[in-house]
Amino acid sequence: METIIEALVALFLLIGAAFALVGSIGLAKLPDFFMRLHGPTKATTLGVGGMIVGSVLYFSTRGEGLSLHELLVTLFLFITAPVSAHMLAKAALHLRLRTVERTRGEGALPRGDAE
Amino acid sequence: MTLSLIIFLPLLGALLPPLFIRLGRTACAWSAALLAGTALAILLYHSPAVFAGETLVFTQPWLPALGLNFSLRLDGLGLLFALLILGIGLLIILYARYYLSEHDPMGRFYGMLLLFMAAMLGIVLSENLLLLLVFWELTSLSSFLLIGYWKHRSDARQGARMALAITGGGGLAMLAGILLLGHITGSYELSVVLASAELIQAHALYPVTLALILLGAFTKSAQFPFHFWLPHAMAAPTPVSAYLHSATMVKAGVFLLARLFPALSGTELWFFLVAGTGTATLLLGAYHALFKHDLKGLLAYSTVSHLGLITLLFGIGTPLAAVAGVFHIINHATFKASLFMAAGIIDHETGTRDMRRLGGLWRFMPHTATLAMVAAASMAGVPLFNGFLSKEMFFAETLHAGWMGEWSWLLPLLATLAALFSVAYSVRFIHDVFFGTGPRDITRKPHEPPRYMKVPVEVLVALCLLVGILPAWTVAPLLAAAAASTVGAELPYYSLAIWHGFNLPLLMSLIALAGGVILYLLRFRLFALHDRIFPLCDAKAWFECGLARTIAVSHQLTAWLENGSLQRYAMLLVASVLIVIGTSLWGTTLTGPVAMGTVDGVTLTGALVLGVSALATVIWHRRRLAALVLLSVVGLVVSVAFVRFSAPDLALTQLSVEMVTILLLMLALYFLPQHSPAESSTARRWRDGLLAAGAGLSVAALAWGVLTRPLETISGYFLEQSKPGGGGSNVVNVILVDFRGFDTLGEITVLAIAAFGIYALLQGLRLPSPTTDGEGRPWAEDRHPLILSAVSRPLLPLALMVSLYILLRGHNLPGGGFIAGLVTAVALILQYVASGVVWTRERLPFDYIKLTASGVLVATLTGVASWWFAHPFLTSTFEYVQLPLLGKFELASAMVFDVGVYLTVVGSTLLILANLGKLTLVSQPHEETK
Repeated sequence: METIIEALVALFLLIGAAFALVGSIGLAKLPDFFMRLHGPTKATTLGVGGMIVGSVLYFSTRGEGLSLHELLVTLFLFITAPVSAHMLAKAALHLRLRTVERTRGEGALPRGDAE
Repeated sequence: MTLSLIIFLPLLGALLPPLFIRLGRTACAWSAALLAGTALAILLYHSPAVFAGETLVFTQPWLPALGLNFSLRLDGLGLLFALLILGIGLLIILYARYYLSEHDPMGRFYGMLLLFMAAMLGIVLSENLLLLLVFWELTSLSSFLLIGYWKHRSDARQGARMALAITGGGGLAMLAGILLLGHITGSYELSVVLASAELIQAHALYPVTLALILLGAFTKSAQFPFHFWLPHAMAAPTPVSAYLHSATMVKAGVFLLARLFPALSGTELWFFLVAGTGTATLLLGAYHALFKHDLKGLLAYSTVSHLGLITLLFGIGTPLAAVAGVFHIINHATFKASLFMAAGIIDHETGTRDMRRLGGLWRFMPHTATLAMVAAASMAGVPLFNGFLSKEMFFAETLHAGWMGEWSWLLPLLATLAALFSVAYSVRFIHDVFFGTGPRDITRKPHEPPRYMKVPVEVLVALCLLVGILPAWTVAPLLAAAAASTVGAELPYYSLAIWHGFNLPLLMSLIALAGGVILYLLRFRLFALHDRIFPLCDAKAWFECGLARTIAVSHQLTAWLENGSLQRYAMLLVASVLIVIGTSLWGTTLTGPVAMGTVDGVTLTGALVLGVSALATVIWHRRRLAALVLLSVVGLVVSVAFVRFSAPDLALTQLSVEMVTILLLMLALYFLPQHSPAESSTARRWRDGLLAAGAGLSVAALAWGVLTRPLETISGYFLEQSKPGGGGSNVVNVILVDFRGFDTLGEITVLAIAAFGIYALLQGLRLPSPTTDGEGRPWAEDRHPLILSAVSRPLLPLALMVSLYILLRGHNLPGGGFIAGLVTAVALILQYVASGVVWTRERLPFDYIKLTASGVLVATLTGVASWWFAHPFLTSTFEYVQLPLLGKFELASAMVFDVGVYLTVVGSTLLILANLGKLTLVSQPHEETK
């Protein structure tokens, strides 16, 4: 039983870490601001979610009852991540940041046409 | 105990007349008179014991560790002065009722008069020298207020300032002298000091001590060369001059001479300092008095001269001279106060005090003239009046002064000369005012004053006559009691008779009387001569000039030290810290005996992040937003470090403080220029870098020194006592609200004051705010994005609930008023940020000033409440109560205190941030009206 739990915890941690890694690589490598915004707001949130599931599993199976603190973390993450992503995107739109051609949308200008 | 009432009745009663003035002027005067009268009754109740030779002492420790006790002493000398203060005080209250005009604020006058009376009584009844000094300074302050009573007049303001500067400065010197005296004798109690004369006079510090104490006494009693403040203090209303500047306050200096007479007198130094100053003052005052055309000026210089006479008597140092000195204090108080009041009546009825315009008033006010003549005769030393008796004793003592060797003929000669001038100015006072031709240029027809205005003068004049004719039946017991406690030993034999046979003192009196009249007859020639010799000696101009120069020098010094550059202050601060740490660490072994521990990867990483982001903040300080982000990284790592080292309370506090600080800085950045120019030169950058590195290294060295030594802390005590003593298991919180509750009270008070200060500074501030960012792009139109405001609103009740939870559990688990207050503040500020100042103010109409003040009030009242249960301030108590549903619940008084802390923190944080945020409205109103 314990081995299965540990394996599951490890699995969720790994999944979480993988998403976080992908999100961080995206933040570093993607070509324009609007693309980079996806990394920390989506992938990394999912990564944290994976780790939280692992944490719930781990602490709930130590005989001290169900651990639900993590749900609060999830809740606040769900509140803060969209708000900050929205604010960042609004700021970027207002400042008319340069974009690559593939990025489409109202207000987003292709690279070179900025200003 | 009732002794202290004598002082506290007028002291606390000083608040009454300003209230009673609403019931009319007479009620106001009655309220003051009743207080003084009650104090006088208490004094008289104690007087039989004093006449029987007892010394009543009352002691109540005040700051015993400093030697300051509230100890009072009633002996003969104290009784005499207290009688003068209260008796003449009552007469002055009656007189002032009629002297003050309808326009003068009478309640304020009586209030300040009572305050002065209390301070004066404090001086004469103090047993503790430090207490005496406290009251001494209080007389300087209250006399400052009284002299400047007519504050619309510049001469009153200047006179008040001069008196305060001179007597206050003398008080400082006296403080030093008294501290030395306490150092020599080991006690500030008079009974000890007075009994240690030999010890004091043999001590190496005796000359310094004596000089310092005498400075205090001489400035207060207007002795040469500090005499010039007294004539300028005559800008005060006449009741004040009669009371302070003739009967009481200026006597404080000679009182001090009398009080410390047994301890300090009897040496050659005492004789030359005190008698020398006294003689100079006696002559100078008497000379100048004759040449003053202003009635009050004449009386002022005459007072200076008589004070010099008394000082000279104490300076001679024999017991008999001291008796004469005490006697002359009584006599001078009676005749000079009545003369001042007479001068006030003349001023009141004619509108002028200039003797060149007055004259012939006998026809209009014979009653007043008679009274004034009796008092003036006493001042001149005419037989059958009280002034004659003490003056005779004075002449006799000058003949027997020691220490003078073959120059001993000089003192009697100078004394006779001064008495001669004294007769001349007394004659002038009477003749120039009541006889001769005149009055000239008087707008109204003079007449007798109101009936009751003359009563105080009549009482005093009657005393002059009674004492002068029947000394043995009137003043003798009081004089004996007062003189005995002045001398501190058995009194020598003296006779208070009027007639002692033909002797040298009588001859000196006769010469003075005859010479004085002749001098008066020659006055016009003398006036001309005087005007030619003394046009340059304007002490006031010199004083004002010196004052202006002192102010200029201190301005320069201040400008040099405090040039307005914050960077410079920071540099000076860090440099001094560096010097202090450096010098104290120099030559000590830094490394202690404890071996180094191991370091784990997580801690090391945290430390590296901390260091790198701190450095990066400095390097990128001109890219403000980036620097701000890096600064918040520093704060976060510090909070995490607190968690790492098991300090959850600190971590929570640090986190919330970080948020508030970053918000504050964001607001500040909005108003700052968008680009920071590079202002520092390379040399300066090197200097600052070296200073910063030095300071950092010193702190590191200190930390290293502490960490490599065995840990000896007081935390064990607190850990043990927290639960049984404070009723809480969260030691940090118990220390904050209980063990060190007084510190916390002080801190929240400072916080509140700082918030009020910032609020005051922001009032009316108009900052130019940029309409575009650094690259010329305008700000976004959408100031309050929908998602943020929509999300933040439901968060508010949640956050408030959390903060309440943190507040309530704080006594036993991490939390408490401070953290809860910060959490609430952050939640409320979020509303400001998300929805704007206008929106939030409409929905949160709290007055943050009142909120802050109520927090401090709640905390203070919690502390005061423990007095109710006869415990010291801020003693906390706790109780466990059983509640249905909730179970066992702890109630601690410290929780109420914590609520006070909570309210103060919320109030002051929001007071600062909300008002700073409001500036964005003031500077850009058009944005909001859109």
